Parts: sequence; structure tokens; C-alpha cells
Amino acid sequence: MLQHQSRANASTVSSVVQSSPIVLDNRKAPPPLDADRMRMYPRIGNRQIVGYGLKGKPEYFDLVMFPCPSIRWEADTPETAVLRKKEQGDWKQLSIDEKKRLYRASFRQTFEEFTASSGLWKWTLGWGLIALSALTLAYDGWRRLAYNFDKPNSMSDEKLKQQMQFHIAARQGPMNGLSSKWDYETGTWKK
Amino acid sequence: MAYLLRSALTQSVSKTTRTMWTTVQRNMSSHKKETDEEFDQRWKAYFDRPNIDGWDIRQGINHMNRLDLIPEPEIISACLQACRRVNDHSLAVRYLEAIRHKSNAVSKQVWPWILQEIRPTLDKLGVSTPEDLGYDKPELALKSVDDM
Repeated sequence: MLQHQSRANASTVSSVVQSSPIVLDNRKAPPPLDADRMRMYPRIGNRQIVGYGLKGKPEYFDLVMFPCPSIRWEADTPETAVLRKKEQGDWKQLSIDEKKRLYRASFRQTFEEFTASSGLWKWTLGWGLIALSALTLAYDGWRRLAYNFDKPNSMSDEKLKQQMQFHIAARQGPMNGLSSKWDYETGTWKK
Repeated sequence: MAYLLRSALTQSVSKTTRTMWTTVQRNMSSHKKETDEEFDQRWKAYFDRPNIDGWDIRQGINHMNRLDLIPEPEIISACLQACRRVNDHSLAVRYLEAIRHKSNAVSKQVWPWILQEIRPTLDKLGVSTPEDLGYDKPELALKSVDDM
């Protein structure tokens, strides 16, 4: 009995009729902010919903494939309301700054801005070179500290002197090299 | 259906003596394809509706942007006039920007030609081109959404 009573109360006698034939009239100002609207549009705030967008959700996007997002970028302030009213008249009366202001109120970035190159290659190249030099320095330091070997004994002065005598005796570099600087008749360096 | 078309062609060729072949679009499948003129007329009629919505204009722009073509100047003019009817100048600029971006991907000569063809409509309605607003170069350097 109680269940039937509450069900009967729930049904409405008069159905909800939409008065305006246009479902989304974007020529009027958006409805003022109130509790219902804040509950309905928790993520977009007071912005106008103007289209279908990507998947029917009221989200803003800047995409090359879909030029028109489903909501405007900015909420309507009194200044933009004035501009919108002016927009209803002759567009030749709008100045360039007003047109730019209207564009930025509806869209976040222009096509040129969101298709501009990001300059990532500079970061990539820079960090790559830094990493390469850091690795080289680390290897050098490691070898100097950990794997530091003594020089071989053939690098001592005596042995190097003896090596040079052998080179001169063998006529090493006779044209432009070592032996061309040695005077074989006198047994000294050439003057 | 295709056999009928083919036989009709061969009959007509054998009957008349033609010095020049005319281009005939033949359907190899039974599915009817519309011609370019029909396509243009369909889209022009879509945008020429007198009580069109901002919603429908955006749907039309988004849909046509996905297709592998740049719209004819008549369709562009019809869309600009539709934007005028709903009093949305920014939408018209956005549409022109989309067409400009798409045509620049093909060749640098397409966009000046399109502008020249729709110049009467632009002057009549007072729509600014992206170049007039300075939007052929980036103006603001905002962070990309992918980097947030």
C-alpha cells in the first residue's frame, strides 16, 4: 500500500515541456551561476556549451582535426557580454582588438600556436652532449684514480737517450725528420 | 547494375562516331557514389539553412574537416554566412584558420587562391582573415597541454 502510494506520488501529471524550439541557443547570455549549474557543470564552470565537440562531452580542446571544441574557453564576463552584443551588429564596426578579444574568449590558442614546433630538439641535443661529456669525464677520473698504472721503465731519461742514439744510427727520418738534423761528419747536431 | 551500364556504353560507342572520349564516371559496384557537384550542393544546402544553430555549424565544420578535401569556395561562403546568422565572428575566423592550415599542407598557392575567391563574402560580412588579426604567426607562447 505504501509502495503504491509513493509510486503514485512520483509520477507527474504534467510532463515537462520545452518552451523554446532551439535546444542550445548560443545567442543568449549563458544562465547565471547558481547551485544547480555548479552541480551540473563541475568541471567547466560558467562557460557556455556551444557544440558537440569530440565525444559529446563539454570539454575544451585545441586539435587540428577538430577545429571547434564543445565549450568556449572563457566564461562570459560583463566586458565580453558587451562585446557579444556588439558582435550581433555589423562586424565591420568591430575593431581588430575587439575581434582578437572575442577570439581569445572562445579559443585558447590559435592554429599557428598549437601547431608550432616545440623546440624539443635543442633540449635533446644539449642533454645528449652533456651526458656524453659527463661519461667521458667519469671514465677519465675512474682510470686516474682506480686503474692508475706506473709508467714503463723505457720512459726514463737514460733509456730515451739511448733510443734516440739508435734512431740516429739507423738513419730514421733522413729527409725531413730526426736524422736530417744530425751532422754525421762531426757527430753533433747540425747548426 | 554494372553490366547494364557497361553494355549501354558499348552500344552508344558503336552507334555514334566519336572523335573525343568524354569522361564518364562508371560505378563498378552497385553502391551509388555521389558526384562532386552533388557533394557541394549537399553541404551548401546544409549551411544555407536560415535557422541553423551554432551547434550544427560546429558539427558541420568538424565533420568536413575530417574529410580528405578542402571545401569549395561556395561552401566556405555559405558557412561564413551561417556564422553571421548566429553572430559568431570567432567561429568564422577559426574555420578560416582550419582551412588555411589544411591548404598549406598541400601547397602554398592554395590559400591565396581561396582568399581571392571568397573575398566578396569576406568584404560583405566584415569577417577578418587570420592574417588581418595577426594569427598567421603565433602570438602567445602558452604551455602545450601535453607538457602539463
